[in-house]
Amino acid sequence: MRRKASLILLALAVFFAALSPMLRWYAFPRLAKIPANQYQDMVLEAKDATLVDNSLQEKKVSKITIVQTLKGNVEASEKIEKTLGRDVVVWDSLSYAQDPDGKMVAYIPERYIFDAHSQDPVHATGEMVDGDPVKREGIEFKWPFQTEKRDYEYFDAQTRTSNPIHYKGTQNFRGLEVYYFEQTIPWTQVKFPKKLPVAGITPEQIAKTGMTRWYTTVRKFWVEPVTGAPVYGEEIHKEELRGGTLLGDREKVTAFAGHVKMREDYIEHTVDLVKSNRLLVLLMTTYLPWGFLTLAVLLLALALWLEARSRRPDDPVPTTADEPEPVTA
Amino acid sequence: MRALIAAAIGLAVALALVFTITAMGSPTGRTSPKPLLTTVPSHP
Repeated sequence: MRRKASLILLALAVFFAALSPMLRWYAFPRLAKIPANQYQDMVLEAKDATLVDNSLQEKKVSKITIVQTLKGNVEASEKIEKTLGRDVVVWDSLSYAQDPDGKMVAYIPERYIFDAHSQDPVHATGEMVDGDPVKREGIEFKWPFQTEKRDYEYFDAQTRTSNPIHYKGTQNFRGLEVYYFEQTIPWTQVKFPKKLPVAGITPEQIAKTGMTRWYTTVRKFWVEPVTGAPVYGEEIHKEELRGGTLLGDREKVTAFAGHVKMREDYIEHTVDLVKSNRLLVLLMTTYLPWGFLTLAVLLLALALWLEARSRRPDDPVPTTADEPEPVTA
Repeated sequence: MRALIAAAIGLAVALALVFTITAMGSPTGRTSPKPLLTTVPSHP
């Protein structure tokens, strides 16, 4: 009976010992992925911002609100997965900005296609920013699982280029250990958005006047490294309109200047969401593998102990003194 | 010999479990019917 029990314990010990590394290095990389049907919205605000009005005059406004929506397009991702044979996520996103009166000031749609596991960009038809086909390099919106303390290439939708976003240190953000990343995009000429706030005016019409649009930003992200999810973000964003006949004798006018920050209720929501997702990732990468390994050692020890006991005789044989054999003469 | 068989069974079950779970993956679900927002939500 003891021998049978020790064999069962040995089988269980091997089971958990094998499960431990396989969960971490085989199952986790295959199971951890961004769901294809994710839907997420985010509200950011730039208080006391500068904006240009319809008569091309700078004005101070109390607040610009930016609503950013990410929507996983399952049908589009399945179509790409069939040709590529790997898990792909297609995010249709919209950055919509409005002034304090609720009037639209920016409307930029994007399609971002990436590997569901590694978050590496995937190039497929439909990848775009504001209707222009692009070929992203690096990441956008989210960092990979198990984010490292190093610089990453980050795609900038305004310039349609990828540039390094620098790791600047580890910080504590509302009880979470986060990596702080920062990217500066120097003044760069960028395209006018396809959809402008003034009805009836097209980017082509503005371009004919000789006016150009310039942009610079300092982008800051606080990223939770286990999930790779940004828990907070800020952007010091400036846009100028330069040259052309519409500005008269002025060389340039500020089209937008503001310090964009996440709204407080969205920060709290994001931190809570990331904390729960972090626990799930840690379960697969740390808690369960180490737990299984410890259990395997304990089970093996128990199996060996039972085995040793089963080999020991239950009742010791009484020792008897050997009597001398008779010797024949 | 019986110990070896027991260990092999434990290993085989672990492999089968991990391969089955990873092969099943997770359901992809459907595209959310919610729109891309052009209004400011009052809360997350």
